[in-house]
Amino acid sequence: MKKTAIDRRHFIKITSLSSGGLAIGFMMPGLPALAISAYDCEFFQPNAYIKIDKKGKITVYYSKQESGQGVDTALPMIVAEELDADFRDVKAEIAPYGTVPGSEHDTGGSQSILGMYDSLRKAGAVAKAMLISAAAAVWKISPSSCAADNGEVVNTVTMQRIKYGGLVCEAAKLPVPKEVTLKNPKDFKLIGKSEKRSNLKDILTGKTKYGLDLKVPGMVYAVAERCPVLGGSLVSVDDAAAKRVPGVLKVVSYKGTGAPMHVRDGVAVIATSTWAAIKARKLLNITWDEGKKNNENTEQLFKTFAGKAKDAPKIEVYKKGDVSKYNGKNELVAEYAQPFLAHATIEPMNFIASVKDDSCEIWGGLQLPDWAVNTIAAVSGIKKEKIKVNLLLMGGAFGRRLHFDFAIEAVKIAQQFDKPVQLVWERTDDTQYSPYRPANYHFLKASTDEKGSIISWQHHVLGTPIAFMTEGPDTKNIGEMDGADHGFCYAIPNIKTGYTPVDFNINRGWLRSVDICVNTFPVESFIDEIALKLKKDPLQFRLSMLENRPDFKTGEGPGALTQSPARIAAVLKLAAEKIGWSSPRKPNHYIGLATHSFIFAKSYAAHAIEIEMLEPKKFRIVKVVAAIDCGLVINPDGLLNQMEGGLAFGLTQALKGEITITNSRVNQDGYFSYELLRYDEMPPVEIHITDSKEEPGGVGEVGLSTVAPALCNALAAAGNRPRSLPIRNEGYSWV
Amino acid sequence: MPVFKLNVNNKEYTVEAESDMPLLWVLRDLLDLTGTKYGCGVASCGACTVIMDGNAVYACQRTVSTCVNKKIITIEGLSEDGSHPVQRAWQKAGVPQCGYCQPGQIMAAAALLGKNKKPSEELINETMSENLCRCGTYHRIKEAIHIAIEEINK
Ligand code: FES
Ligand code: FES
Repeated sequence: MKKTAIDRRHFIKITSLSSGGLAIGFMMPGLPALAISAYDCEFFQPNAYIKIDKKGKITVYYSKQESGQGVDTALPMIVAEELDADFRDVKAEIAPYGTVPGSEHDTGGSQSILGMYDSLRKAGAVAKAMLISAAAAVWKISPSSCAADNGEVVNTVTMQRIKYGGLVCEAAKLPVPKEVTLKNPKDFKLIGKSEKRSNLKDILTGKTKYGLDLKVPGMVYAVAERCPVLGGSLVSVDDAAAKRVPGVLKVVSYKGTGAPMHVRDGVAVIATSTWAAIKARKLLNITWDEGKKNNENTEQLFKTFAGKAKDAPKIEVYKKGDVSKYNGKNELVAEYAQPFLAHATIEPMNFIASVKDDSCEIWGGLQLPDWAVNTIAAVSGIKKEKIKVNLLLMGGAFGRRLHFDFAIEAVKIAQQFDKPVQLVWERTDDTQYSPYRPANYHFLKASTDEKGSIISWQHHVLGTPIAFMTEGPDTKNIGEMDGADHGFCYAIPNIKTGYTPVDFNINRGWLRSVDICVNTFPVESFIDEIALKLKKDPLQFRLSMLENRPDFKTGEGPGALTQSPARIAAVLKLAAEKIGWSSPRKPNHYIGLATHSFIFAKSYAAHAIEIEMLEPKKFRIVKVVAAIDCGLVINPDGLLNQMEGGLAFGLTQALKGEITITNSRVNQDGYFSYELLRYDEMPPVEIHITDSKEEPGGVGEVGLSTVAPALCNALAAAGNRPRSLPIRNEGYSWV
Repeated sequence: MPVFKLNVNNKEYTVEAESDMPLLWVLRDLLDLTGTKYGCGVASCGACTVIMDGNAVYACQRTVSTCVNKKIITIEGLSEDGSHPVQRAWQKAGVPQCGYCQPGQIMAAAALLGKNKKPSEELINETMSENLCRCGTYHRIKEAIHIAIEEINK
């Protein structure tokens, strides 16, 4: 198979390269705005993002995939700002696949705002300039005597006004300008003001169609039984009983794939209703060859990690100064562990495919549609040009739909049936066959000098790398080290970090905050641990290593990121101040802090969590304070939503999230055993946003990584530090 | 296949289905009322919550044969146009993120407030803790429920 795998850093690079104005002036295929004549001009459509009709209704096509993060609102706001549109006239729609360069549809790494901000501003400004020129022509005056205001062009001499809708035909005839002037951000009217989600009403009335809700004409349903062990294969299937279930149309089997998506061998029941397929699936009698790797378990995996933790890392990642000089001197060591995790979106994975002869049409939610289509083409033998892609709304993603194993399965099943097939993953499938966030283990060692400063820092990360799955075991791509590599934010003179991969027979993938979350928990816990050991104030201790450290680059060349310790310090200070860090605590109340940056998305966040200890291992979360600096905020309401959601996600991980594996099979089978945070467990939360004029950053992932360490630091302040997640395993309970 | 008469959103429907088919799949696959969501099928998430004779029930847990002669309300029938006080409160608080769990959340809250205009905090907690939201909108659900309570007691 052609290697189309891309690692996450890589795709962030691709994403950022692919934006930056390329798309401006890009025409929707089949809709050549320039060629439209005056009498049939229904729309003015100067680029792929904007369509204005004669009534002045504006459709903004957003090219990033919506899964709850609010791109359907924030991206249109950027366009509407420069267009000077009345936001009530704006309707948001998914940019159809192919109307923008393929990789622009990619959605992940909190890159949507970063990647689209400049080009969407230009897109809006271009449309506005053309509407102004059109009005100037009507009034026979210079465009410089016209201004745009809230969906109208104003003649600044006579104060006459024409609505955008009335200029559609004239504007459509004009050439698209190459250069436009953007607004001065201080003149923004829309950006920075809270807007409710653009499709809110449809959600609240049940009209929104997610992938699972779509009905394609003639569509039938399928569910599949998969090989219980990754890498095993189908031996035989007895489907006689299954076929007798009323509504069952056909039983088909399909072969799995290797990297990048690791589809398992499967047997699918195709039926006239989901229920018939579910029922019949239970009656399949299948013999599997489980292969050799059918006896792996997580208990052993963590023992393996622990056994290797004190050895030198297999791969050296970041080195500064010479840590060896300090070995054994004033040393503190600690080990931390975190389990496999599943995404557990409430909408289970699903996908529709229809295959006719040598062509195929697909419908579903995909975070990386381009990669998916390339891979589907390679796997199915259908040419890429013959695959029509329809992108749909997602009922949650969190990185799950960066993977498209379910889409490959749907195509493989549809290749064996002459009608469109919707493949539905049952909840058990979703829990048991996910690409899991890798299990990971950390060995940390630090030495302090006589002044009580950290003089050397060593961090050995052990994990089950994602790249082994997406690229194969020969990958040169090192593991989950973001947050513990060249971007390490604390000013410490001697540092050494490294990674040791341990393979394990379960699929792995990207989960919201990915490595940053993996490494923030041990780093922010261990820093705290050292502060407590030295009897220093954990806030001041951190600040002393952050505040005066200038911004620095994580490497050379265009891929290098900028780390800003000062901004990491500022959010920490803000969170600490707002929770009352320096005020006297009530009896049995403890506060924990943690801070970090989501470096790819130029955003910085800290959490401060106050708990009350009720019993030695029982607590109540009194209050959570989050502070965030993400540069210029597009939609404050959307930012708050992401921070609140990040807290719930982070608390789930801290308290109870865990996937365990026995005999290469996932033990959990749904929400009863893979529990999520519930309504009554959501603590009071306060979110503070810094007033930043820096370029806008991404906020989908920055709000969760500091939750677990802040909570654990509070528990440590109370006397017992949890060093592995979820803390439930350490005997903690909460009310 | 057996035939059942159902009253959904004050409309009479006749469906042909196996008698053990859960109401969830009848609504979604046979009646194309897809506002009622599938999340788990085993009473663990609440995404499929509908109101039956005034009570919140999991549509995934009621076979079609037990739904005859009942008044079933789904999210599509809670109001014509999203004007039910719970929907308005949800709008005001801007609750949804992905929105997938929200029909279930709204139906659970509407059923609760339909029976009890001033539920205690404990009762709200107990009721709403049956409905999962992976996006973590709980904070706003709480806000919205209180807006709705205020609204209906005006
Ligand atoms: S689908 Fe019915 S409770 Fe989850
Ligand atoms: S809003 Fe996404 S699951 Fe609740």
